Order: sequence, then structure tokens, then C-alpha cells
Amino acid sequence: MTKDLEHQFVTELEYNQNIVHKVCTLYTNDRDSHNDLFQEITIQLWKAYPKFRGESKFSTWMYRVALNTAITLYRKSKKSIPTQDYESVMFKITADEYDPTEEQQLKLMYNAVRQLGDVDKALVFLYLEDKDYREIAETLGITEVNARVKMNRIKNKLKTILNP
Amino acid sequence: MTDELELLKRDWQNKDKQLPQLSFNEIYKMIWKKSSSIVKWIFIISIIEFAVPHLLYLLPVMSKSMAVWRGLGLGNFLLLSNIVHYSVVLFFIYQFYRRYKEISTLDNAKQLLSNILKTRKTVKHYVIFCLSLIFISYLVMAVGIYLSDDPIAAMGYNYTTENIDPEKLKATIIVTLVVLGFVVTLLMGCIYFLLYGILLKKLNKNYKELKEMDI
Repeated sequence: MTKDLEHQFVTELEYNQNIVHKVCTLYTNDRDSHNDLFQEITIQLWKAYPKFRGESKFSTWMYRVALNTAITLYRKSKKSIPTQDYESVMFKITADEYDPTEEQQLKLMYNAVRQLGDVDKALVFLYLEDKDYREIAETLGITEVNARVKMNRIKNKLKTILNP
Repeated sequence: MTDELELLKRDWQNKDKQLPQLSFNEIYKMIWKKSSSIVKWIFIISIIEFAVPHLLYLLPVMSKSMAVWRGLGLGNFLLLSNIVHYSVVLFFIYQFYRRYKEISTLDNAKQLLSNILKTRKTVKHYVIFCLSLIFISYLVMAVGIYLSDDPIAAMGYNYTTENIDPEKLKATIIVTLVVLGFVVTLLMGCIYFLLYGILLKKLNKNYKELKEMDI
């Protein structure tokens, strides 16, 4: 029975691992911290798995536990400085047609997003993942109206970071 | 700005190919690793904090001070304060356990943060309670000295104090006790709140941010 559960869990996580990797990308600066956070999220997901019982989609449930781990439970082991190799792989521009202006813009945007606080990052993350405001509000525990207001403020904040 | 954010969104959703891919076995190994989450640390540190004031009683200095209490005729006070103390300690431990059990990563972020901070608050109240008790003990001891006819004997010493004015001696001991009580309480309080602040810095910051969103 436990073996079944383990197998089922790991299979689902393997299939949906991109969500966790994306959270790690936003919240960490180097490969070691990325792996550290990935591991902690995996442990928290596994601990919560018996309570999951398929009431929502596995991925929906993952967003919540992964973000909670990043915002609340994860303790940075050391002050990590952004490493060049990590940045260049993670933020390699994926536009189909190479456009230097677009690339420059995206680079600036990614850097700006990473300067935001933990909670703001969570909002941006869910927004980039195309979640609606109802789901963003539910994940963070705020009202839908306030999620919208906050997102507008973050957009302004990003604007200031980009055009100081 | 919205255009730029849309551009970012498009790029973000195409990122999958660049992300690391872990195999089934790599993930399987991870589920058996030990968590290093802040909740685990809070639990361990809280247990230590619950235990430390009690371990202090085992120190020889403290056992000696028990004798002083009896010498001062404050044995009953000691018994009573111990009964109150342990009832309150049990209450705090129960409260702590209940709140700790409520912590779940399945809650929304705000609820989760609130539950963790509440759990920690129980420990904070416990520590304030212990610190007050330490301070009060010093004060009561000072009162005991004031009421005692022969404070030196009551404290278990056999000095002859012919050359010293007994009133002066009494006053000195009382002032020393009050100052000592104050300093010890303050010092322990400072150490504790420093630790508390460091431990919860990130949580408090994020919780405040989420709360401010809803104002």
C-alpha cells in the first residue's frame, strides 16, 4: 500500500516537476539553492500527499504547497549571490525568432521580477502561469479584489525598477 | 508595461525545455531526505525553550537557593509557586501542541503564516511567564531578607558580622538581590527576543505584507 502511494506520488511529481522548477527559479539564485529548495518542496509535498485525496488537480495542489514552502518554510542556507552560469541557462530567451531588443527587454524584466519580495513574486508567478485572480487570491489567502489591486501595484513597481 | 509583462508571460510558458529534468529515481530518493524547514526548527527550539528553565533547577547553585528559601521561611511560597508554575507550564505545552498540529502546508499562505506565528507566540508568552517568575522570585527573596532577623544564617552562611551594622548589611543584600533580579531577567529577555526576531524575520515580513494587502 505504502509502496503504491510512493510510486503514484513520484510518478505524478515527475510528470509535473516543471512547476516546482519554476518556483525554484524565481526564489533562488544559484544551482545549489535551486536543488535545495526543490528537495524541500518535494519533502513537503510528500508529507502532505496523504491528505491530498484528489479533491483538486494534482498540479493545483502543487502550486499551493510549493509556494508555501518558498514563502514560509524554506530557510536559505547561505547568502547566495546570483551565479552567471545559472542565470544564462535559466533565463536564456526562448523567443522563436531572435530579436535583440526583445531579448534585452526580457532580461531586464526577469531581473526586475527577481528583485521583488517573496509575496510579490508569488503573485507574479501565478500570473505568469496564467492563473485567474480567484485562484491567486485563494492560494495567498487574500480577497480577489485585493489580488487585482496588488497586481497593478506590482506592475507599477516593475515599471519603476525598469525605468529608474 | 502590460505589453512587456505579456511578453514575459509568453516567454515563461515556453521555458519548459530549459528547465532541469529529474528522473523518477532522483525524486524517489528525495522523499526520504530530512526536511530542514523553518517549522521543524521552530519545533526543536521551542522544545529546548520549554526545557531550559527546568534544567536550571538541576544546577547545584539552584538547589542551594532552595535551602535559602526554606531558611527564610518561604518554603510554602516555593511549594505554591511550583504548583502554579507547573500547571501553567502544562497549559502552555498543551496550547503549543494544539497550535503546532494546526500547521498545514495545504492552507493558504496567509493562514499558514498566521498559524506558525501563533504557535511561536505561545512560546513567547511562556518565556515571558518564566522571566516574570524569575524576577518575582528575586523580589520575594528580598522581602524575605527584609523580614528575617538573621539574614546571613538564613542564607546558610556562618560568618560573624560583629563589625557590620546589621541594618546596613540587610539593605545591601536587598539592593543586590533586586539589581541582580533585574539584570538577570533583562539579559535573558534580550537573548531570547534576539533569537526570536532572527528566527521569525522572514515570516513576519511576509505575513505583514499579506495582511497589508487586505487593508
